Amino acid sequence: MKDKTILVVDDNRDNLEILRAFLESRGYAVAEAPDGRTALAKMEQVRPALVLLDVMMPGMDGWQVCRTIKNHPDFGDTRVVMVTAKGGFEDKFEGLRSGADDYVVKPVDLKELAEKVERNLAARESGA
Amino acid sequence: MRVLARVKDPALNEHLVTAATRLGADLMVVNAPAGSAVGAEDRLLDAVRSHPDVVIAEAAGKEEMLLLRAETESRGIALVVACPSEGAARCASDARADEWLLTDSGPAEIAARIESAIARAEKPERPEATAQAAEHLRYEELLYDRFTGFPTLPVMLERGREILERTGRLTILYIEFVRYSKLEEIYGWQKLDEVLQTTARSVREFYDRQRGASESHLMVSHTGDDDFIFFTDLQEPVEEAERRINEIAEELERYIADRLEREHGEDIAGLFGIYVGSTTLFRNPKIRTERMIYRGIREAAQAARSVEHRERSRKVADLKSTLREGAVYIVYHPIVVTETREVYGYEALARGLLRGLRSPEVLFGVAEEANLIWELSRLCRKRAIEGIDENLKPGELLFLNIDPHDFRDPKFRYLDLDELGVEHPERIVLEITERTAITDYPTFQGYLKEFRDRGFRFAVDDAGSGYAGLGSIANLAPDFIKLDISLISSIDSNFMKQNLVDTMVSFANDHGIQVIAEGVEREEEYETVKALGVHLTQGFLFHNPHGNGKGEA
Repeated sequence: MKDKTILVVDDNRDNLEILRAFLESRGYAVAEAPDGRTALAKMEQVRPALVLLDVMMPGMDGWQVCRTIKNHPDFGDTRVVMVTAKGGFEDKFEGLRSGADDYVVKPVDLKELAEKVERNLAARESGA
Repeated sequence: MRVLARVKDPALNEHLVTAATRLGADLMVVNAPAGSAVGAEDRLLDAVRSHPDVVIAEAAGKEEMLLLRAETESRGIALVVACPSEGAARCASDARADEWLLTDSGPAEIAARIESAIARAEKPERPEATAQAAEHLRYEELLYDRFTGFPTLPVMLERGREILERTGRLTILYIEFVRYSKLEEIYGWQKLDEVLQTTARSVREFYDRQRGASESHLMVSHTGDDDFIFFTDLQEPVEEAERRINEIAEELERYIADRLEREHGEDIAGLFGIYVGSTTLFRNPKIRTERMIYRGIREAAQAARSVEHRERSRKVADLKSTLREGAVYIVYHPIVVTETREVYGYEALARGLLRGLRSPEVLFGVAEEANLIWELSRLCRKRAIEGIDENLKPGELLFLNIDPHDFRDPKFRYLDLDELGVEHPERIVLEITERTAITDYPTFQGYLKEFRDRGFRFAVDDAGSGYAGLGSIANLAPDFIKLDISLISSIDSNFMKQNLVDTMVSFANDHGIQVIAEGVEREEEYETVKALGVHLTQGFLFHNPHGNGKGEA
C-alpha cells in the first residue's frame, strides 16, 4: 500500500476526475484543488508527497503556485510535476526558474504520468 | 432524550416515530396547518423554548432557518435539517445545522443522524471558534516574524515605549544587510534563502549571548526584508554608550560574517555587507512616544545607509589602488572532458588581493559603480594571460570572461596578443557573460566577427540562467555553451533539468557546439551529465583543494 498523497490541481473538473480515478486506481491517496489558492491551503492540510499542477489556471498560474510551494520552508521536499499544454523550450525554462521537478505534456498520457509520478516519489524517497 | 420535530412528510414522520422509539426518546411533533407558515414558525419556536435535546425541521426559507438556528444554538440544542433532495447538505450548511437527512431516510438512518447531531452540538468546536483561532494565528503571525521568530514592529514599539518610560532613554541599532550584486540570480533563490536563514540564526544566537552577558535589556526585530532592528536600554553615560554600541555592531558583523563563511564558503560570505547605524532617544513628554520611536528607527536606518556609503567610497579607493598596483590574482578552474576526466582547459577567474575585494562579484560590482570596468577587465586579462605558461600545458585552452561592454573598449578590440605573449589565439575562448543585456546585436556580431577572424573562439556563459536565454545562443553562434550552475545543481533528481540539458546537448550536436556543465559538485551530478552526453564538465568536483587552482585531472 502506497500511503502517499498526491495533490492534483486543475481548474477543469473533468481532468480532475480522470486524474483522481487513475491515481487512486494505482493506490495513491488523492486530494484535489480547483485553483492555486485552494491548492496552497490544501498543502497545509494534506501535506502531499507530490503535487500535480496544471500550468494554465485562472488567478494564480501553475508557475506561481510552484514557486510558492518550493519557497515554503515546510514543503521543500514536496515534488512538483507540472502539467503543461505546450512542450516548448521556453516553457521549460520557466519551469526551472519556478523550481518544478518534472512535467507532463497535455493531453496526458496516463502511462507516462504513472512513470513520472513513480520516479519522482522514488527520488524524493532517496532524499535527493 | 427529547426530540422536537416539524415534518410534514408522512413517510418521514412515520420513520421518525420508529427512530425515536428505538432511541428511547420522547418525540414532540409540531405539525403546521397547511397554508399557515407563520403560525407554524411561531409554534415551532415556542416549542423550542421548552428545551428539547434536538430539533428536526424540514428545510424552509433561509431567514426562518437562521432564526431557528439562533434559537436552538443559544440553548445548546442540536439541529437537524431534513431535505427532499441531494441539496440537503447545502441546505444544512446554509442553516448552519449540526446534521442533515434526506426526507426518504429510514428509521436507522434518522436515529444515527440524531445522535450525531447531539454529539456535534455538544462539541465546543464550532465553525466560529475555528475561524477565531485562525484569526488569532494570523494575528500572532503579524506579531512575530515567521522566518526568524523575532517580534515585529508593533511589539517592538510597545517594548520601546516601556524602556523609554522606565529609563528615560532608548538606543536603536539598525542593521542593514546588503547583498552585493545578484546572489539570487547567480546561485538561485534556494541559496539566498539558506543564507538569510543562516543570518537570522546568527542574529538570534548573537542576541541570546548578548542578553546573557550583559544586564542591559535587548530586543531584536526583523523588518520583514533583510534588515534587523535592536532596541537596548544601555545605561552608561552617552560617550560610554556610543563605544559600547560600536562594539556591539562590530561583534555582530564579525559574528555573522564568520557564520556565513563557515556555512556557505568565502565566495558567498564575500557577497554580503553588514552596516550598523544607531541613534539614541531621550524621553520627551511633548512628543508622542510612538512617533519618536518611528523617527528614531528612520534615523538609525539613515545612519546605517551613510555607513554603507562611506564603506563603498572606501571600496572604490581600494579598487583604485588595486588597479595601480595590479593587485589581482588569478585562479584557474579546470574544465575536463566529461568522458575521461582529462583536463581540456581552464577558466581564469580574477580575485582581488585586498580582503574587501576578494569576491569577483564585489570587485566587478565596485568597478562598475566607479566606472572603472574597462581598466579592471584589462588588468584581469593581462594577469590571466601572463599565467598561461605556468598554469596550462600546451594545447590546453584558456577561457577568459568577457563582458559585452568590453567590446567597446578600444584597447580590447585591438587586443595585442603578441604583446601579451600568446602565439595561438585558438587557445583562447572568450566567455561572454551577459550581465548587461546586449541590445544592439548587429554591431555586436560585427565585433565578434573581427575576433573570430583572428582565430578566437567563443562561449556563452550562464546559459539557462536569467541572463543568457535562447536568444543569445542563437545570436552569438558560439563554439561552446556553458550551462548555468542552476541547471546542474541537483540535476540527478530533477527530471525537468535533465530534459532541458538533453535538449541542449542534441541542439549543440546538430550545430557543432560543445556543451560545458558548470558547477558539478557531486559524483551523482557528474554521472548524470555524463549520461546525458554533456561534452565538458567544470566544478568543485575537479578542483585540487590545496593548489592555487591548478586542478587534478
